[in-house]
Amino acid sequence: MDQIFDVSLFASTLRMITPILLAALGGAICARVGLFNVGLEGLVLIGAFSAIVGNHFTGNVFLAVLFAVFCSLLFSILFGYMSIQLKANVIVVGIALNFLALGLTTFSLRAVFNVKGAYYNKDMVGLPKWDIPVLKDIPWLGDVLSGHSPLVYLSLVLVVLLQLFLFKTVTGFRLLAAGENPTAAKSLGIKVTRIQYGAVLMCGVLCGLAGAQLSLGNVTMFTEGMTSGRGFIALVATMLGQSNPLGVAASSLLFGFMDALSIRLQGFALPTHFTMMLPYIVTIAAMLFFKDKGYMQEARKSNESSR
Amino acid sequence: MDKLLQFGRSMLQPLLAILVGLAAGAIAIVIVGGSVMDTYAEMWKGAFGSFYFFTNTLSRATPIILIGLGVALAFRAGFFNMGSEGQMVLGALSAALTAIYLPGPGWFKLVAAIMAGIISGGIWSAFAGWLDAKYKMNLLITTLLLNYIATLFAGYIVSYPLKDRSGSAAMAQTVMIDKSVWLPKLFHGMSVHGGFIIAAVSAVLLFFFMKFTVKGYEIRMLGGNPLFASYGGVQRGKMMLLSMFVSGGFAGLAGSVEVLGTQYRYIDSALTSPGYAWSGIMATLLAGSHPLGTAVAAILLAALQTGGMGMERNTDVPLEVSSIIQAVLILFVSAKLSYSFLKRKKARS
Repeated sequence: MDQIFDVSLFASTLRMITPILLAALGGAICARVGLFNVGLEGLVLIGAFSAIVGNHFTGNVFLAVLFAVFCSLLFSILFGYMSIQLKANVIVVGIALNFLALGLTTFSLRAVFNVKGAYYNKDMVGLPKWDIPVLKDIPWLGDVLSGHSPLVYLSLVLVVLLQLFLFKTVTGFRLLAAGENPTAAKSLGIKVTRIQYGAVLMCGVLCGLAGAQLSLGNVTMFTEGMTSGRGFIALVATMLGQSNPLGVAASSLLFGFMDALSIRLQGFALPTHFTMMLPYIVTIAAMLFFKDKGYMQEARKSNESSR
Repeated sequence: MDKLLQFGRSMLQPLLAILVGLAAGAIAIVIVGGSVMDTYAEMWKGAFGSFYFFTNTLSRATPIILIGLGVALAFRAGFFNMGSEGQMVLGALSAALTAIYLPGPGWFKLVAAIMAGIISGGIWSAFAGWLDAKYKMNLLITTLLLNYIATLFAGYIVSYPLKDRSGSAAMAQTVMIDKSVWLPKLFHGMSVHGGFIIAAVSAVLLFFFMKFTVKGYEIRMLGGNPLFASYGGVQRGKMMLLSMFVSGGFAGLAGSVEVLGTQYRYIDSALTSPGYAWSGIMATLLAGSHPLGTAVAAILLAALQTGGMGMERNTDVPLEVSSIIQAVLILFVSAKLSYSFLKRKKARS
């Protein structure tokens, strides 16, 4: 047992959850304004690819991350335009976005780098690893918490910031109101459409960061469809966390831990299928206890009335 | 004449979307420096160029049609069934296991395997419906979650207890199904198999079921206006279980015919990686949940995919052009919903 639950397992958990957590936070904001964003997967994939492209052409990690955020932002605008302006079914747009992202990134991989499958270049620099001054000297905790990329720490800070933003600021309350009951919010003079756009754009930024962590933080390469379902896991984490930043963080932690654990178990040639299955079963069980709230019904309404 | 006009109008939007999709593809082709006409010609050849390629397209379309039909039925009833992937995988697994381990003559095993596929896919799907009807759990999310559980479970079964240990290949797969249980090929040496006939017949049957039976009318009513349906005495919970069972049954059937007609064993991720389930959902969206239209759209999507492969063989343009075309297609078709929304708004004011 000691061999399985060692320090590096927890450290890798922290690295694993960051993309999921960032994307799930984006999904949570979207869910709060009544848009159920199935396109997280695609947005993260675009972020991951454009981070590599930015890195390749500028050679600067910071600019690469900015470029990733910019590209994800563009696609989230597309998502917003289709679903808010044109009132297309949110879920359909999300599915289409995922396909577009998968096709475009693989296509651009050929067009830009002229390779197939994966792009790797040993000259590329990944995100820097930050050692936290005092923390890193604490025996066990230091090994777990220190020495990660800045985005890992940023994601943790963002959880707290978003929690404060949503529940302690006026704009946050307006955002919640816009999702809870758009008609009532509109009657109070809240610009619902603008708030929805704002939420979608924020989601784009977060997904861009998630992608950058995926392709520049965890590894320094891009492979076709490298999100491999992480966007959907993020979506599930959003549901399990009830679109509440702290809850989303907790559920992402669960998913990340299971992810890291199953990779570890693979090393011992043990069946990983059930450990990987566990988060989904937990989510279904959790849905039994947490009943749908207003914004969820909104999402449900939008997916039922479309037929 | 009126009907013809209406039909033409309903065809206009998908055709427009196809044109826009092809235009987007053309831009992508120009970017990588290919010739648009030549590339599309290669694509056409890859999908329909010879009898062999044509049957190849049809065999790829087979599972997509069946999944599309299932999703279309659920859509018509107003349910978003995103769980086709898991339902298909479970159907495929049970079909393979039935075909391998059930004693009896070949034809009996074949029928039993197909039935097992339909039933297990249906039950898995109805389970999600039951969770929604009984506990008000969002169907969209539960079906999505059940996908993972089903694929992981099937993956476990074929990597550990029932793994094929006879061959030297260390792949996660079951043993080969006996030849007597294989779905017959329609033409010698071609890949299209009896499953295509099943798919085509199912499309026609579903069309008549939706159009001319009481149950079909109830399903359409439930999807069109749930309040009116409940006023008319349609029980939502019961209909949900029924339509989800049939919907999942189609997905299970898709998995079974793929196993019995093409792969002859259950191979881990051989059904999930080509994205049959998502293609099926796309076909349904493209056709606006019309059963016959779904079949046509499925063949179109399959043609785009096989055509893309042909294109990649003969030109420098990468395969992914076809997935770009598909995605743009769907984006534009989803804009159709807004078009009808605008009409409704006008009618109200």
